[in-house]
Amino acid sequence: MVYAGGNIEVALSSLFLNPITLSGGIQQIFVRFVLFYTMGLGVGLALKAGLWNIGAQGQLLVGMVMVFVVYTFLAFLPWPVLYIAMIIGAALGGLLWISVPTILRVKFGANEIVVTILLNVVAINFAFYMLSGPIKSAGTALGFPHSVNLPAQFQIPSIVSGLPITYAVPATIAIGIILYLVVERTSFRVEANTVGESTETARYAGIRINRVMAITMLAAGALAGLAGATYLMGYRYELDIGSFSTNYGLVAIICALVGRKHMLGIGLASFFFAYMTIGAESMALSANVPTYVVFAMEGIMMFGILLGYYLTERKYVV
Amino acid sequence: MSVALSDVMLGILSTTIQLSPFYLFAGMGEIVSEQSGVVNLGLEGIMLMSLMTTFVVDYMTGNPWVALLVAIGVAGLIGAFFALTAIKLRMDQIASGLAIYLFGLGLSFVIFTVVYPSGVTTNYVSLPPLLGNWNTIPYVGVVFLKQNIMAYASVVLVVVTAFFLTRTSLGLRVRAVGENPKAADNMGVNVNKVRFLATLFGALMFGVAGFYFAGNFVPGFQTDIIAGRGFIVLAMIYFANWKPYRTLFAALSFNVVYAAQSEFVSIAGFGVASYSTLFNMLPYVFLLALIPVFGRRARPPKFLLKPYRKG
Repeated sequence: MVYAGGNIEVALSSLFLNPITLSGGIQQIFVRFVLFYTMGLGVGLALKAGLWNIGAQGQLLVGMVMVFVVYTFLAFLPWPVLYIAMIIGAALGGLLWISVPTILRVKFGANEIVVTILLNVVAINFAFYMLSGPIKSAGTALGFPHSVNLPAQFQIPSIVSGLPITYAVPATIAIGIILYLVVERTSFRVEANTVGESTETARYAGIRINRVMAITMLAAGALAGLAGATYLMGYRYELDIGSFSTNYGLVAIICALVGRKHMLGIGLASFFFAYMTIGAESMALSANVPTYVVFAMEGIMMFGILLGYYLTERKYVV
Repeated sequence: MSVALSDVMLGILSTTIQLSPFYLFAGMGEIVSEQSGVVNLGLEGIMLMSLMTTFVVDYMTGNPWVALLVAIGVAGLIGAFFALTAIKLRMDQIASGLAIYLFGLGLSFVIFTVVYPSGVTTNYVSLPPLLGNWNTIPYVGVVFLKQNIMAYASVVLVVVTAFFLTRTSLGLRVRAVGENPKAADNMGVNVNKVRFLATLFGALMFGVAGFYFAGNFVPGFQTDIIAGRGFIVLAMIYFANWKPYRTLFAALSFNVVYAAQSEFVSIAGFGVASYSTLFNMLPYVFLLALIPVFGRRARPPKFLLKPYRKG
């Protein structure tokens, strides 16, 4: 352990500067940004209707699996069709996965927090099964199973060759802006907020509660699944068990909360957390500490931001 | 290969009895906490921290009782911090709980690797069986008598929690502040103090659960070793409608399914892990399938998740 005695300058410069100075740093920031923003949009959308999608991680995993399910089992499709089918398949996977808590919530009044948490555990087992069987690469007889590597024509290309920013970045921002226009600037915002505040009030106002709940939840699942496609096709190109215990889904929840459920605010929060996560990872590496320390730092950052909100709000309330 | 059916039954029974106390400790803690209106979603993070503490202190002192005390202390500290943020600072309980989870998930592993950078050389000292070694007695000895005192304590805890929530004045106050804090306040109950105590009690029980995990689930510490089992507790008490005895039933039935599938997987011997993971899903799918049955009747405390401000 070399960090004893602490070199604070090295630590701070790795935290704040390494993300942009290290090679691959910028790429990593935008990969995380796309992940957090896509999933965070969904989580924020459901939150507007008062629904907690704790299962973004599970929907992300199913989305990732679906990319390779489509790639393997619909391989007969011509290239552009298959390419689009992989992306749509991932979104559909996430949508299918969240349809369980959605139906249970709308039809049976079951708590969506409990169900989405349960489904996270199921998703890991499901993904592991798929990875060690149906979508396993023939090349891995021994060792940890992984999928095949996506060939170049199925990867999301960079905007400018040489610059490590793929088309996933502007696409995600576009989704964010569209959702902002659709959700924040129309009566849907009022409907969703009313459902989120009180189902009683919503019922009196004649809002179709089940419809609002179903739309926001299903969209949340589809977005989380979509994040699986952009992650695999835009950066990782193959699926292995390294992607299973990443907790990106939880960070996305944090981004949605820090961004105050606002479709553009979530984008800012996602960029902040993407930057800080990469900084924290590089700091952990340079200090010879396990990168797991990043999870702890994300937790602490979250408390810091929540505390900031508390302090700023107290001025007006008390 | 033939396997005697009685051996299989014995295996299922024995695993169920060995694993259930973990869910009982955590479940009773979360029930008391949620009855007062506070969901502690950070329970898995707190348990990871107390589990890590258990291993570290146990390796260093060789005394599981010291490990238990320190583990409970650590859990209590984190729980008090969570209670402060969720109750006094009125932060969103889900947000704060998730932050606690991430915090515990990261820090538990970092501390462990800092203390043991080159691995552990000492053996984990577990609590002895309460009644000595009775392995010669079929069934009763193998299944029940070999358990340590914590397993028995967990059943006592269920009885005590049920009694506490329905028959004691403090227990009634806990439920009152979760059901209608305004009315409780008008009757002179210090809402936030009662909530703080209930949440702290919950965290202390997570500490015990983390300690129990060390002796009965895993031989050593690894990253994310609890692997979502803490979150399952939230589902269990949901099915149990926040009632202690039903939680006991939920924990036992979940673990019967869990034990049955793991017995089946080990008998079937799939070789590669592929099919076994499909069966690993069963206990969770089992819980999901129960939702249409029990979910309709679930009635959470009315002011769950809602912070209270006097006046």
